[in-house]
Amino acid sequence: MKVFMFHLMPYADLDMSYAEKYRAAWVVLPNSYFDPKKGHELYNRYLDELELAAELGFDGISVNEHHQNAYGLMPSPVVTASALSRRTKSAKIAILGNAFCLREHPLTVAEEHAMIDCITGGRLITGMVRGIGAEYYSMGVNPTISHARFQEAHDLVVQAWTRTGPFAFEGKHYHFEYVNVWPRPYQQPHPPIWAPSTGSTETIEWAAHPSRRYVYLQAYSPITSVARYLNYYRECAQSMYGYTAASEQIGWSTPVYVSDTDRKARDEAKAHIEVLFNRLLRLPFEMIFPPGYLSAKSLKNMRSHKRSVSGQEHTVDSLIEQGIILCGSPDTVRKQLMDTHRMLGFQNLLCLMQFGTLPRDLTEKNIRLFASEVLPAIQALSDKEYGGMAVRAAE
Amino acid sequence: MQASEIDVRGLRLHVRRGGRGAPLLFLHGAQGLNGSEPGLDALSSHFDVIAPDHPGFGRSADSETIEDASDLAFFYLDVIEFLGLRSVHVVGQCIGGWVALEMAIRSTARIESLVLANSAGIRVKGVPRADMFVCSEDDLLKMLFAGPGGAEWLKSWRATPELEDLYDRNRAAAARYSWSPRLFNPKLERWLHRVDVPTHIVWGREDRVIPQAYADALKSLIKGATAATLPGCAHLPHVEQPQAFAREVERFIRSAAR
Repeated sequence: MKVFMFHLMPYADLDMSYAEKYRAAWVVLPNSYFDPKKGHELYNRYLDELELAAELGFDGISVNEHHQNAYGLMPSPVVTASALSRRTKSAKIAILGNAFCLREHPLTVAEEHAMIDCITGGRLITGMVRGIGAEYYSMGVNPTISHARFQEAHDLVVQAWTRTGPFAFEGKHYHFEYVNVWPRPYQQPHPPIWAPSTGSTETIEWAAHPSRRYVYLQAYSPITSVARYLNYYRECAQSMYGYTAASEQIGWSTPVYVSDTDRKARDEAKAHIEVLFNRLLRLPFEMIFPPGYLSAKSLKNMRSHKRSVSGQEHTVDSLIEQGIILCGSPDTVRKQLMDTHRMLGFQNLLCLMQFGTLPRDLTEKNIRLFASEVLPAIQALSDKEYGGMAVRAAE
Repeated sequence: MQASEIDVRGLRLHVRRGGRGAPLLFLHGAQGLNGSEPGLDALSSHFDVIAPDHPGFGRSADSETIEDASDLAFFYLDVIEFLGLRSVHVVGQCIGGWVALEMAIRSTARIESLVLANSAGIRVKGVPRADMFVCSEDDLLKMLFAGPGGAEWLKSWRATPELEDLYDRNRAAAARYSWSPRLFNPKLERWLHRVDVPTHIVWGREDRVIPQAYADALKSLIKGATAATLPGCAHLPHVEQPQAFAREVERFIRSAAR
C-alpha cells in the first residue's frame, strides 16, 4: 500500500470564540481573524511536518485547496507543492486536489502542474476536484454547472497535456484558440489523476469509467460511508463498465493520531480534533450545498442521511466510534488499518497527521511514532490481504 | 387559475392561466410559484393572467440552452408569439422583472406595458444586498417578508412531498440564472433607453434582497417610469401584500397604458 501524509494547513491560531459571532469558519468569517505573522509561522511549520514525513519513509506527501476560510490555508496548493518539490527527493507530491473548474482559465493550473512534474522528475500526482460548495460562494462560480465544468476542465487539461499543440478547444464552458502548453508534463502521457470526493455518486461513476480508471479517494467520513462509497466504485466498475477495478484505484483519507497508549492518544488528540470538526469544519447546510451543487437526487439523499461529518457536535469518542478518525496506540491503529484493509482493500491511504490545533511537538511525535510503528506493516499490505467482496458480504 | 402545459419550440412549459380581461404575463422571481399566490388571484379579477413556471422551475422542463436572463427573454418573446398574443402587459417580480426588461430592450412590438416588482436586473453600486442563497432558512424568511407571513408561505411549500422537491428545484433554477453576477446583467443598464412602453415600478419597501434604492435607480433609468412603494412588504409583493399589489397593477394599467 502507498501511504501519504496529508496536510490541511489549518489556521490553528484562530480565535475560537469567533463561533459566537459568525456561523461559519468559511465565506463569512472576516479575514481580520488571520494574523499574517502567525500565518508565517504556521506555513513554515506545516511544510516542515510534511518534509519530515517524506524523510521518514511515507510514500508521498499531500496538500489540497480551499478558499476564504480558516479550515485550510491553501487557496493555491500549487504554492505549497512547489515549496515541497525542491525539499524532497523521492516522495510523491500529491495535490489532492486542485479545483481546475473554479478557474476561468484551467490551463493556468495545468501549466503549473506540468512545471512541478518537470521540476520533480515525475513525482506529481494531480487530484481534480469540483471544490466544496463553499468555494462556489467564495469564487463566484455558478454551482449549478459545477459537474459539467469540472468534466470539461478535466478534458481540456488532459488534452493540453497529451495532444500536440497548438489546437483549438471547443467546449461549452471553455473556448480557447490556442492550447499549446509549455512545459509538457514529465510523466507520460500525464501525471496520475486522482478524484478525491466526499462521496458523490456522479464523481465515483465518472472516476471509475474505463477510459479513466482514476484513483477514487474517499475523504474522511464515518467508516460505514467509506465502505459504501469504496465498494460502490468496485461495483460500478464491475456492473456498469464490465471490468474489475484494481485496488490501486481505491484510496481512503482519514485523520490519524497515535501515542503510547489508547488512553493517552485520546487525551492528547481530544481538544485538537474537536476543534477541527466543531470549529474549523463549521459549515451550515446552505453553505456546503449551495443550490444546484448537488443533483436533485443527491440532495434528497443528503437531507435524509442528515450530516454525519459537519453540522453536529463531535467528541473524540464519537469520532473514534464512528470510524471517522483513527486514534490510539500504534498496535490499535495498526490493527484497525489492517482490519479495514482486509474489508475494503484500498491500496492508497492518506493520513491527516496534523489537525485542528494539534501543536508542533505532538504532530511531530505522531508522525515519528506512526512512521516507526505502523507505517512498515501498512506499506506491506497488498491484495493478498484483501478479503474481497465475499468477506464484505459475510461481514 | 387553470394549470396546463404548452410545448414551445420543444420545451414543455407549465402555465397557470385564469381571469378575464387584457392578457397579462406574470413572470415570477427566484422563489417561483406554487399556486397559492393570492396576488395572482387578485389580478385575475381584472386580467387574463398567464403565469408560467420558467424553464427549470416548478413543473416546467429543464432546458440545456436557456442559461440566463437573456435567453429567458428571447424565450418569452417566443412564448408570446406562440400564444398568439398581439398585445400583453408584462408584470415581473425579482428575476421575472429582469427578464421583462431584457424582453423590452429587444422588442416591445407585442408588449403593452411593464410592471417591475422588486425587480432584479441591474446593480446599484455601494448598496448592500442580502444574499438569499447563503443564509439560513430563518434568515431567508426575514429577508423575503416584512411581517410574519414567511412561516405560512414556507408551509405552503411543505404541503406535499412534490412541492418540497419543487422548492429545492426552484432554488437551483434561481441560482442557475442569477448566481454570477448575482441577480443582474452588467450590460442591461446601457440599453434601458430602449424601454419605450409605459412602465410602473412597484416595490415592497422592506426588501433587503433588492432594496428600495434599486426602485429609485430603475425609475431614473427608464424614461417616464412611475413608482409606488408598498409599506409592510418585502421581496414578494404578490404574496405579502396581494391586494395592494394587484391594486397598483390594475390602477397603473387602467390609467397609463394605451
